Amino acid sequence: MTTFLQLHLLTSYPPACLNRDDLNRPKTAVMGGVPRLRISSQSLKRAWRVSEVFKENVTGQTGIRSKELGRKIRDALLSGISLAELLKPNSPKAESDGEISEKDAIEWAWMIAAEYVDKKGKGADGENEEGEKEEKEGKSKKKNAKSNVSKETLKSEQVVFYSKPEIHALSALIQTLRISGKVPTAEQLKTVKIKEAEGTADLAMFGRMLASSPDFNVEAACQVAHAVTVHRAAVEDDFFTAVDDLNTREEDAGSAHMGEQGFGAGLFYVYVCIDCDLLKANLNGDTELAGKAIRALIDAATKVAPTGKQNSFASRAWAYYGLAEKGSRQPRSLSLAFMKPVREGDMLTDAAKALETMRGNLDKVYYEDKAEPNKCFNAVTGKGSFQELLNWAVGGEGA
Amino acid sequence: MREYLVFQLYGPLASWGDIAVGETRPSAPTPAKSAVLGLAAAALGLKRPDTAATEAERAGWESQHAALAQGYGLAVNVQALGVPLSDYHTAQVPSSGAGRNRKTFPTRRDELTWLPRAELNTILSRREYRQDAFTACALWSRNSAPYSLTEIRDKLLEPRFVLYLGRKSCPLTLPLQPTLKSADSIEDALAGIDLNKILLALWGDKTGERLNDKFSRDGCCLAWDADAETRISQDQIEVLTRRDTSLSRRRWQFAVREERRASWPAGGEP
Repeated sequence: MTTFLQLHLLTSYPPACLNRDDLNRPKTAVMGGVPRLRISSQSLKRAWRVSEVFKENVTGQTGIRSKELGRKIRDALLSGISLAELLKPNSPKAESDGEISEKDAIEWAWMIAAEYVDKKGKGADGENEEGEKEEKEGKSKKKNAKSNVSKETLKSEQVVFYSKPEIHALSALIQTLRISGKVPTAEQLKTVKIKEAEGTADLAMFGRMLASSPDFNVEAACQVAHAVTVHRAAVEDDFFTAVDDLNTREEDAGSAHMGEQGFGAGLFYVYVCIDCDLLKANLNGDTELAGKAIRALIDAATKVAPTGKQNSFASRAWAYYGLAEKGSRQPRSLSLAFMKPVREGDMLTDAAKALETMRGNLDKVYYEDKAEPNKCFNAVTGKGSFQELLNWAVGGEGA
Repeated sequence: MREYLVFQLYGPLASWGDIAVGETRPSAPTPAKSAVLGLAAAALGLKRPDTAATEAERAGWESQHAALAQGYGLAVNVQALGVPLSDYHTAQVPSSGAGRNRKTFPTRRDELTWLPRAELNTILSRREYRQDAFTACALWSRNSAPYSLTEIRDKLLEPRFVLYLGRKSCPLTLPLQPTLKSADSIEDALAGIDLNKILLALWGDKTGERLNDKFSRDGCCLAWDADAETRISQDQIEVLTRRDTSLSRRRWQFAVREERRASWPAGGEP
């Protein structure tokens, strides 16, 4: 038994070609014997996964992206000014206050900075990433053969992103080292690298399959169905030409280029099912991050669409209807509601009504008319609120 | 007289994987036993062996799947074969480089966003699905069955993992309605599930009838394992070989299975 969070969305797109097949025509499917437009599950997942909406919801905080944090750490060790202060623009100049020697400060800063570029986590084999070994300090060469931080300049080979919690951890460690005066131990060094929330949430929600190292596979916690239109949809053709600006029409008045672009407008039904227990397990029990991940997914699902042909069609839309169900029953999509295609007319209202009617009928036939707890919003009737749905869906999962 | 666990499988898209080499990932027209038992495995909470932390754990999970594969017999009544769909599925992958320039990416998001667009390569594939396929299934326990049919039924009602029809992007659209039934033959066991009745119950008489016509009934058939109890006469049976008995979930290897099949023209009876 597990808690499933099911999300049903209705989104209406103006003429668009969001997802194309090998003939550059919008993808289609047949449902109830009637052709529909389709957005494939894989294109939806990809769009949500790389979207800024997803990332912002999960990280929720700004961080620092830099190659030069090693230097700032050294300055903080030397001067006693807090790391956060030194990272601000126009930070005070760091003067040594004698607590820690210059040599120690450089050495420790180098060790700490190296923690961030040694990617030995899941998915990496601990190899050097475009890095050169440091040969400057003979005696430390063997111990630190895989570091990508230059001992001289304390700059790392690649740009590293330090999240706010990591900067706090660094400040704390720097304080400790200044007081103790000893070389940072391995345990202490471990505390500064906090798992990147954004990458982890992405993994936990959408999973990972590594053909080269299947041992690092992660089972995706969310299941996304192919989105289909609720109504009969035919692919239409836009015949276009490109006019030749320099053609004086003395010889021929033809265009420079002619072509056809398939497109279609559609009211799509999107279904997402999140296995909440698996999500939490993938995140090692971090309920707060699980909550953020769910929030990020719902936000992305409602607002983000694949970006196919956006320059020509500018077909960006938000879901106008959303229904979230939480429970342990066997999850089921409600595409059955649109088996009989919605007719032209008041399509937005009709689609929402068909969805809710079918849900009621399924409950009546299979579950003795008992509904699962749910929340919904409908922008056409003005019912409910998106924030309310988000908060309810995240509900017992944390923030 | 045998105990059967019967349930219905329906979703707008389903994919019963067949032997696949390279780009084309075809779908068989009728459900594969490994797919149906895989659905039961997901409901029971059996994990994929490749996500295990230790070798011992991995072996344990593998044997759980193997026990499930061998422990049950399956009979299916395919009431709608469904319309085939070939999906053009592309995936962008960054070059992994070689030797010292070997690049590794911790997550898929990193794979897609770290490199400039021009440096991403594309993997092409054609994946087949069956649209609007409806199947009634009956499971019976063999001697080595690891779980009782009652247990499986309870888990199908409240599954541990998400359920799907072959591929994860093919969720169920109808509740499975798993029921325990005693019957003399698989035909009797499967007689209770009828697509027509379901459409009428959910849509009412008029629309239900019209929708019923939209489901193509060509190729409807009954298919079963060799140890099934059936009254169908020998001369109506054809024997097919299907490679869908799961040997190893980790290595994704399957053994052959003999499937007996009887089909009848649309509107007819076995």
